[in-house]
Amino acid sequence: MGILSIRKCAAILMAVCLVGVAASVGAQTFPAKNKAITLIVGFSAGGSSDAGARILAGGMEKVLGTKVEVLNKPGASGQLGYTMVAQAKPDGYTIGLASLPGVMVSIMDPDRKAAYKKDDFQPIALQVLDAGVIAVKADSPYKTIKDLLDDAKARPKKITMSTTGLQTGDHFSILQLQQLTGTQFAIVHFDGAGTAMTALLGKKINAYVGNVGDVLSQLKSGDIRVLGVMDTEESPFLPGVKTFESQGINLLGGSWRGYLAPAGTPKEIVDKLSAAMKTALETEEVKAAMDKLGLHIRYMDAKDYTKLWDSYGSMVKELIPLSKQ
Amino acid sequence: MDALHDLLMGFSVALAPGNLLYAFLGSAFGTLIGVLPGIGPAAGTALLIPLTARLDPTGAIIMLTAIFYGTQYGGTITSILLNVPGEAASAITCIDGHKMALKGRAGAALSIAAIGSFIGGLFATIALVFLAGPLTKLALEFGPVEFFALMILGISLMMGLAGKSMVKALMMGILGLLLAMVGMDPVRGAPRFTFGKMELMDGLNFVPVIMGLFGLSDILENAEESLDSTKSAKVGSLIPSREEVKDSVGPIARGSLMGTILGLIPGMTGSMASFLSYSTEKKISKHPERFGEGAVEGVAGPETANNAHANGALIPLFTLGIPASPTVAVLMGAFLMNGLIPGPFLFRENPQLVWGVIASFFIGNVILLILNLPLVGVWVKMLKIPYSILFAVILAFMVIGAYGVENSVFDVFIMLLFGVLGYLFKKFDFPMAPMILTLILGPTMERSLRRSMEMSQGDFSILFASPIAAGLLIASLIVLITSALRVFPGTRKKATSGSGSDRK
Repeated sequence: MGILSIRKCAAILMAVCLVGVAASVGAQTFPAKNKAITLIVGFSAGGSSDAGARILAGGMEKVLGTKVEVLNKPGASGQLGYTMVAQAKPDGYTIGLASLPGVMVSIMDPDRKAAYKKDDFQPIALQVLDAGVIAVKADSPYKTIKDLLDDAKARPKKITMSTTGLQTGDHFSILQLQQLTGTQFAIVHFDGAGTAMTALLGKKINAYVGNVGDVLSQLKSGDIRVLGVMDTEESPFLPGVKTFESQGINLLGGSWRGYLAPAGTPKEIVDKLSAAMKTALETEEVKAAMDKLGLHIRYMDAKDYTKLWDSYGSMVKELIPLSKQ
Repeated sequence: MDALHDLLMGFSVALAPGNLLYAFLGSAFGTLIGVLPGIGPAAGTALLIPLTARLDPTGAIIMLTAIFYGTQYGGTITSILLNVPGEAASAITCIDGHKMALKGRAGAALSIAAIGSFIGGLFATIALVFLAGPLTKLALEFGPVEFFALMILGISLMMGLAGKSMVKALMMGILGLLLAMVGMDPVRGAPRFTFGKMELMDGLNFVPVIMGLFGLSDILENAEESLDSTKSAKVGSLIPSREEVKDSVGPIARGSLMGTILGLIPGMTGSMASFLSYSTEKKISKHPERFGEGAVEGVAGPETANNAHANGALIPLFTLGIPASPTVAVLMGAFLMNGLIPGPFLFRENPQLVWGVIASFFIGNVILLILNLPLVGVWVKMLKIPYSILFAVILAFMVIGAYGVENSVFDVFIMLLFGVLGYLFKKFDFPMAPMILTLILGPTMERSLRRSMEMSQGDFSILFASPIAAGLLIASLIVLITSALRVFPGTRKKATSGSGSDRK
């Protein structure tokens, strides 16, 4: 009996050691050959979120030497996809695309009844900032953002401003702008950039709020004027358009697209994925493809992205009640 | 005649052997995507974009646009033969198309649909070549207020879709509006009728709903009789009779015009075009009672309208750089990936490509006609399969289709639920067309009304300030009054009380 129990103890000890070794080996050998990484995209195939993720997935495959498969799980403004990521096994083989502020809205808005919390995710890296812009029709009397704000102050709630949807980045940017400048606009929610832009060109609304990628065509044809970019630097796609920061308004926003792992994914694996994304984003092939789509690469590693993640958490939490008025 | 000159140059590009091949491949893939239920044009086009990655931009765009409008041809086939819509825009074709098939006129229905699609596509493309400028101005006049008025006009056509009982039709119309409310409130963000289900946040997916209502309920109904292994539908002549051709001329002409105009307006979908065409045809028909019993007008109009819509929706992409529908947004992505920003300047900067692509629309539509007419004979043979075998295939087809829309098992259950509902509706003689009409138009009606209110900060007078909106609202009133006058004598005989109060 005694011998047996010693044997038992030894076996248990060995098993424990083996598990430990296996775990560290798991991190070192990640990703295993022939084991595909699933990248969950909570949006339909063909959109710009999906396109960016697919370009990155292609680049990562070359760096990591294993398949990176994009799985589209659209629905509930990305919430179905985020749920899948939060509930996945934290082994690095399931990661997901996240779009700020959208993902944070689903967490902070009690009406959305999300099955996940802010801490259920481990940010990996930021890929893109599709910065916000404010645009008016080319023949509009508003030559600068100041003209627009002055008129809004003179006639509160009379100047119409579009969003591409309720609680999107555009919506939060308008709310921030109102807070910063003490103005009030009549906010009109459209569904998508197409219908909102049509309304601007047809003079149904005074100002359009959307992302850089959505205004390239109309700016090129001379139909619209962009009053500013919500970023710390000018957009390479909109030469000559000033940032709002340089015009004295500290307005930063747009869609930040990055990648999340479920919380509890080992740090080594997160760092490895983050580094692989960085390398992929630096290759000429990926750069050229992103450039064509008007997607501005803005890499952040896990640490910086987590900071952004946290700051958006508090910002969105504060603005949620305002977004429902 | 600059446009004509440019177009001829375009043909020289589009008729190059390589581009001809891409137009053919695109048309063939498009038809296939249309036939497969669940894979809609947007997802289908997105999935096939990698196929074109290695082509030159002209070839790639020619192929992808052909896939896009090709789906409109394919969607009809399963609607007519199996009562399972391959595409949302072909759903309404089930009603009369499948009835025609049961009467042995499947070949005729498919041929008329193909010819109508061809004419509709051609019409929209000619409009793009010669009238793009003025038409675009018209589209820009449509803001939220005008949208709302147009939706009201559409819904007023609902009364015309009633069967024997106006009360039942109105009940179904309201049920459709209620179902359209499921999902997140578009202004306040509150969940409505979602029962805590995340899958319902974006509202009901339309394709599983109609698959259940039409396809599954049909199987349930057939299962009441013994599933006789020898029973199969008749396969009559493949060629439309002179009568059928004559009856189709008007619907095809109106469908072309309606589809093209709706295609121009960003936010209008192909299914709206086909449903409005169907409702209009029934409204103006001298024999509205034939609708639902296999009226060829109920196939010719909608099938023309949805294809005209598909080609018409490309006009704002070229003239404004705006994607008018989700599928065109996918196409726009393909333009961008090829380093092209769609917009009016493309005509200046890259005339070879633009006019080549436009010319390819003519060629693609001809290819689709040539491809589809002889195939009619092949497709119709499907009806010779004994029903006891066929129904299992249809069922499998529908389950895969419902799942495929969003990779979601939830949608399969939605389809099953609506299959049972559809069966009950049929048993108790509730007409489904009014419900589907309001289900399609309802969300856009609500959104455009609330958008108008956001613009005016709650002042209703904005709805009458626009001449277009006022005109459309007056037209709706006329439709309502004439429908009421027409229906009134019929309902009074059956139900003396109740019918008056329904009409306010």
